[in-house]
Amino acid sequence: MTNPVDKLQRTAAEYKLMDAKDKRRYWTDGILNNALYILMAIFVVYTAIQKPNFLSLGSLANLLTQVAAYLPMALGIGGCIVLTGTDLSAGRVAGLTAAVAGVLLQKSDFANKMFTNLPQVTVGWILASMLIVVLIGAVIGLVNGFFVAKFSLHPFIVTLSTQLITYGIILWFFGLNGNNGQPISGLSREYKDFVGGELFRMGNTPIPMYALYAVVLTVLMWFIWNKTTFGKNMFAVGSNAEAARVSGVNVFMTTVLVHTLAGAMYGYSGFIEGVRSGSVAASTGLNAECDAIAACVIGGVSFVGGTGKISGIILGVLVLRIIFVALTMLGVDSSSLYIIKGAIILCACSLDMRKYLVKK
Amino acid sequence: MEDRSQKRELKGIYRNVKISVRALDMMILGSIALILLVLALELRSPGLTVSFDSKGGTDVAAVTQQYGELLQEPEPPTREGYRFTGWYTDRSCDDAWDLELDTVRGNLTLYAGWEEK
Repeated sequence: MTNPVDKLQRTAAEYKLMDAKDKRRYWTDGILNNALYILMAIFVVYTAIQKPNFLSLGSLANLLTQVAAYLPMALGIGGCIVLTGTDLSAGRVAGLTAAVAGVLLQKSDFANKMFTNLPQVTVGWILASMLIVVLIGAVIGLVNGFFVAKFSLHPFIVTLSTQLITYGIILWFFGLNGNNGQPISGLSREYKDFVGGELFRMGNTPIPMYALYAVVLTVLMWFIWNKTTFGKNMFAVGSNAEAARVSGVNVFMTTVLVHTLAGAMYGYSGFIEGVRSGSVAASTGLNAECDAIAACVIGGVSFVGGTGKISGIILGVLVLRIIFVALTMLGVDSSSLYIIKGAIILCACSLDMRKYLVKK
Repeated sequence: MEDRSQKRELKGIYRNVKISVRALDMMILGSIALILLVLALELRSPGLTVSFDSKGGTDVAAVTQQYGELLQEPEPPTREGYRFTGWYTDRSCDDAWDLELDTVRGNLTLYAGWEEK
């Protein structure tokens, strides 16, 4: 750990020695490399001026709640990006698991209950349901990982097809037992409390239980990425699969496991998503992977492969959420938000490439 | 000093990409410009208009609101011989507007519901 003051002094000393052209380049590099953070700062200042309650405690609580909800998926997808891949099926997997969790945990006296002969909703059954949906996610991830690893297919292709297949299964699932595609609602009180119950209050805004689960998952993922052989292998395969193979890393196993772990994270995301939005529709989870991928790339998990940090992912999710909370408060329509999201992804990838080229 | 207009190769997901730092700078600035342009266009619009059709009752002025807000209920209209039952999203008054749950998601017209006294 270097002393930040020393580092700053050293940078200042180096800066003095630069000629005019170097100095100009220093500033353009600084501004361009931090373009998205600067953009975020502009949004925050503008929104704070226009809507004073943007800087309230309640709005901070809302922001933290959103970060907690979006973080698990980004943590999962981060691993796939480290392997120079990606995962386009994440959102649909979360949609499917949200639907399954919703059906397993509907109120027992709900009129439109899809399956009537389910056990009473207790903490044990909630945990069992969570395990079931996490396993469903993991199995889809396993399929992704297997095809990517076994046939060296590009993850874009494999996960695009699982995305569509999963969507088909979702539509099937919504048609079961005379449900005819209706949204799944009537989630039981116990399930809602388990996921969205109040952990503590910030001002007048409650922080839900899943904020705590997000912290637990973050610590778990940090441990897996930094302290296990599997994590080290993941970075080795990401930076150079051939070199990793030569030095005895099981590339096949590592790739499969990274995707399986990612799938489990999407399964968990689905588990909380139903409670977050009150009911589950066939469109739940649509395009959620785009946010997760953008967050990872903003946070420095590079598509170049082999680099990335859990802290970066947290930062990326935070930056993206701040931007969207600000835009929503300004009253920006969802159609414009899509254009902005697209531009952010393009910008983040350009930045990612630029950092690699300038470093090289 | 390196030449930034020279095309260079990348690896990972970008392994077939050959691009110069200068071109990337343009892409970064271009996408930021796009974001700001969309935002400027979006914020120029004053908001969403909710107009009210009182269907024979006293006129109710349209209100302007932002996306996702709850409707600020206007002064209810009155009509001779009828009692006002609330606002509906359709002319035939099947679909009631829930003031506590429904949020404004586009320009819309609400219709007054009347019940004979």
